[in-house]
Amino acid sequence: MSRMKTAGIVAFIITLVMFICLPAFAADDWKAAIGQRTWSFPRDHGAHPEFRTEWWYFTGNLRDGAGNRYGYQLTFFRQGVRLKPADPKNPWSLRDLYPAHFAVTDVSNDKFHFAEQITRSGPGLSGAAADGMNVWNLGWSAKMKGDTLHLQAAHEGMALSLVLKPRKPLILQGATGLSRKGPGHGQASYYYSFTDLATRGTIRTADSQMPVAVEGVSWFDQEFGSNVLSKDQVGWDWFSIHLSDGRDLMLFFLRKKDGTVEKESSGTLVESDGKSRHLKRSEINAEVLGTWKSPKSSGTYPNRWRVRIPAAGLDLELAPLVAAQELITAGSTGVTYWEGAVGGKGTSAGRQVTCEGYVEMTGYAGSLGGLF
Amino acid sequence: MRTVTRSFLRYLYRRRSLSLLQLLGIACGVAAVIGMALSAQSALSSFSQAVEFLRGKSSHTLERLAGPMDEAILQDLVGDPAVASFAPVVERRLKLANGDLVRLLGIDPFLDRAIRPEISRAPFAGRSGGEREDSLAFLTDERAVLLEENLARELGLAKGSMLNTLRGRLKVIGIFSNPSGEPLILMDIAHAQKLLELPGKIDHVDLILTDESGFVSRWQEGYRIQSKRQRQETFGAMVGAFRLNLEALSLMALFVSVFLIYNTAMFAVVSRRRDAGILRSLGASRTEVAMAFLTEIALFGILGGLLGSIFGYLLSLALTEIIGGTISSLYFFLRPTPMAWSWWIPAAGIIVGLGASLLGSLLPLLELTRVDPVLTLRGRSGNRESRRWAWFVALAGVFILVVSIIVLAFFSKQIYVAYIGVFGFLFGLSLLTGVIMVLAEPLLRRLLGGVGKLPGRIAAGNIIQNLGRTGVAVAAFMVALSLSIGLGSMIGSFRESLIWWMGSQLRGDMYISNASDMEVPENFYEEIRSIPGIGGVDTYRKVPVLYRGRTVHVAGIKADVLQRFARFGWVAGGDEHWEAVKKGDVIVSESFARSFAAGPGSEITLEGSAGPVRLRIEGVFYDYSTEHGLIMMDRETYIGLYGDRTINSIAVFINPVEPRRKQILDDVRGRALSRGLPAFTREQFHSNILEVFDSTFAVTRSMRVIAIVIAFFGITGALMTLFIERQRDFGILRALGFSTGQVAGMTLLEAIGMGIVSFVLSSGVGTLLAILLIRVINLRSFNWTIFYYPDWQPYAITAATALAASVGAALYPIWKVHRTYPQMQIREE
Repeated sequence: MSRMKTAGIVAFIITLVMFICLPAFAADDWKAAIGQRTWSFPRDHGAHPEFRTEWWYFTGNLRDGAGNRYGYQLTFFRQGVRLKPADPKNPWSLRDLYPAHFAVTDVSNDKFHFAEQITRSGPGLSGAAADGMNVWNLGWSAKMKGDTLHLQAAHEGMALSLVLKPRKPLILQGATGLSRKGPGHGQASYYYSFTDLATRGTIRTADSQMPVAVEGVSWFDQEFGSNVLSKDQVGWDWFSIHLSDGRDLMLFFLRKKDGTVEKESSGTLVESDGKSRHLKRSEINAEVLGTWKSPKSSGTYPNRWRVRIPAAGLDLELAPLVAAQELITAGSTGVTYWEGAVGGKGTSAGRQVTCEGYVEMTGYAGSLGGLF
Repeated sequence: MRTVTRSFLRYLYRRRSLSLLQLLGIACGVAAVIGMALSAQSALSSFSQAVEFLRGKSSHTLERLAGPMDEAILQDLVGDPAVASFAPVVERRLKLANGDLVRLLGIDPFLDRAIRPEISRAPFAGRSGGEREDSLAFLTDERAVLLEENLARELGLAKGSMLNTLRGRLKVIGIFSNPSGEPLILMDIAHAQKLLELPGKIDHVDLILTDESGFVSRWQEGYRIQSKRQRQETFGAMVGAFRLNLEALSLMALFVSVFLIYNTAMFAVVSRRRDAGILRSLGASRTEVAMAFLTEIALFGILGGLLGSIFGYLLSLALTEIIGGTISSLYFFLRPTPMAWSWWIPAAGIIVGLGASLLGSLLPLLELTRVDPVLTLRGRSGNRESRRWAWFVALAGVFILVVSIIVLAFFSKQIYVAYIGVFGFLFGLSLLTGVIMVLAEPLLRRLLGGVGKLPGRIAAGNIIQNLGRTGVAVAAFMVALSLSIGLGSMIGSFRESLIWWMGSQLRGDMYISNASDMEVPENFYEEIRSIPGIGGVDTYRKVPVLYRGRTVHVAGIKADVLQRFARFGWVAGGDEHWEAVKKGDVIVSESFARSFAAGPGSEITLEGSAGPVRLRIEGVFYDYSTEHGLIMMDRETYIGLYGDRTINSIAVFINPVEPRRKQILDDVRGRALSRGLPAFTREQFHSNILEVFDSTFAVTRSMRVIAIVIAFFGITGALMTLFIERQRDFGILRALGFSTGQVAGMTLLEAIGMGIVSFVLSSGVGTLLAILLIRVINLRSFNWTIFYYPDWQPYAITAATALAASVGAALYPIWKVHRTYPQMQIREE
């Protein structure tokens, strides 16, 4: 971990500044997420270069044959710098930056490791196809072949190789895929998810010598937009939860500087049969029951929640499977955030359920306002 | 014993000007050694630091056997399981508007993060949110560069300034510091490719590998993979000869210095024989006297060593810069950082000063303790005795000479052994000085008598009478002057050989681009070739390759053009060799032939891009362009071997009968400059090479000066000891009626006489030394033949030095004579 830290400090300025400065590049020319979008898959699994920011986000909860639990996160970002490269014939000529994050949580050993990369396309080093999901960053990749998704990543000791198969159809988040993030014009993203992906493959943690066979469930989000966050928003809390009764729940809360929660925050509940419904902010009641202070960033994060959605008959208590699942990504996106595997239990439509999933919390160690 | 020692120390104070001179003599000797050793070390370590800094944390480097590679291979590196990190680099030299060549690194700051964290951080350092416009300028502005801070300071540029280069104006968007001190220009890889017209090309990839053998097995064919260790070895081989040269100079400094200190110490003992005799007759024991001497000598050694180490440190500051200049013109632009002061420096100085002093005093002390006190009371040893001593010393000298010649003849393959042989040779000859002086006495008497009548003859007599001291002084002076003549003649011969070589090989009317890191576009070559009136255009491409584990160079040339226009100096045979070269044979330099014992008819195997290729050696030519060995082949053969079409420079030959010679050359020059390529006439090109040559020998030349300075102190000290000691003789001369002017003249003639003897001896010894340096040392270290060209200049310079030093040395005694002579009495009787 200390290696990560050194590398991070070394390149700290690179990317922090890079992201801060991005709006300087004629942000107005980037297409904003305004109005209904006519979705077309598999084309829309691919890149949308007319938008400034885009990501392909995989998280998952896995178990090996011995019952050991693991979590993983593999995220590919595309951050537009200019709409047209200065020298289109030269592949190094800069248009987009490609940061990527990869993390593995080894629950039974209480360990968490992450890695980050930032690249430009160069001669085929990184990129995202426009006609379908084929996104790669040096040796890390996510590719869709037929109806399965293939993930590959390796860094020093840790590695994963997974095949993901949707058990439910994809969900368009927000209003038919337009997910509002604030009241401003264009302050929104296009957002869809595969909430329930049957997952198989192998995983190697930084501490284990050999890859182990694992299976479990993954969640995939793709989101793209331009200038999504406003300056008064400091960060967000995002939940993706699989319930043992087959329901999946997504929630996000945008936190404002004044301590209030953006009223555009919302959620989606996916039933076991794949039907989904949008959850408005007013339908969701989330309560923080405890906090954890990061010894590295000194950020204080919530680490226990009670989530109640009376209209859906949901009452859940959630907690991280490992407390320290913080990513200090000074060498790629410059953002420090907590993203980790969580578990819990509660009631769903009157029945006792267990649940597992992922929680992402940003803006607890430095504000994100205006970054995305 | 304390009394005895104290009496000695009081003497030092009484003779403080002499003591000071002795101290300075030792200090100068120590300074020369320390200065040379320190600067050699700091220059070489700066060099390796600069090389290491450029390669960063990479464990290996991947490059084509020759020329740049296609950037598409990076995709294969991404997929290779042995590669933990990789960073592509475009690395060339850029000519600035002021003529300096500076290394330009084209990098991708993202991929470079793992390899060169300091460099990769530089493009974004200091760019806070307040300066949003230019925070990505490194990646988005295609003229944006970062400058190394010393270079920026030298050019007077700051952030926001424009940097003028032969490839246009570049915008300085920031300054960064390079711990190795090498001037650098940093540019984004995309922009560097565009600036240097290298689309899709990279020069090498720096790698961090987790599995070396696996990687090598996959990438062996057509690539060169160098590990960090191999890189250091290559580096070591590259500067090996240069390092040797510096070490030799340090050794030479040590030799001259030890000789001088030895002399000084010897004087201290010899000139005090009488005092020792008095003390002995007063009841002091041998041990007491010896201890008193040792204390005195140790005091000199320690103080002189201390002082010398400070002088030496200051000297190293100047020498480091000179050596840096040499490395810059030979290998790599470098600004070496002088060594920091450390307490090891005075420690080393004291060891040298003390060691040499004790060595010098050993023999006279032994003699002194054995001798009867009554005899020593006479002061100086008698004439007959000193003559006998001279023969004894000469015998030892002959023995050393014989041993040295045997060493040089049979064991000189080892360069260090060869050096020892040369020094031994020099030392042996120096021991013959006394005898030669004895034998030359009549000649000297006639010569000085002719100039100065009676005082002249007395002066000659004095020199021989005091052989114990004059012999040693002359020997020391002779060694220093010989070094000056030897080094001077060797450099002069080398320079003449180089001029001859340029005249035979570099006969183009115009040369376009001359640095091996620069390139001439192929279409430009075609363009020039098609100009009417041009007889031929030779392309030159030189790359380093590994041959039998050692770095040699391969050059691609146009054999048909050289056949018509050049007149190579062949070790054997003549221009008929070109026919075979046109058909695919190669010719090799003398240095290659000697290093690998390869001659005409033998075959060499080179690793080509499609596997090993056997090539036949057709001929061997004289060459001074690289000491590592040069394999020259036709351009077609070269391209077939490596698939590399790069051209480093071209030579344009005008038809001999062409009347519009000047217009055509102007046209060629204009076209070259419009492409940002430097163009030189043959004369300019030759003088550039000579400039590099001269700068290579700048250190050697400074060493010559230092040797002379040391010698000056040596001879001055010797003369002063003589004169001070001989005040009583002056009393006798006065009693005999000699005038002040006559005594002053005699003193001067005595000094000049010693100077003449030293010079005459050094002319012979220096010439022998030059021949040894050329035939043994150069041949061994560089594997090339230098032709001995006799030149009067080194002799003239040395003669002038000898005269100036001896006159200078006589000035103080003469002044003293003028001041005290009228009151002098024969006090002793």
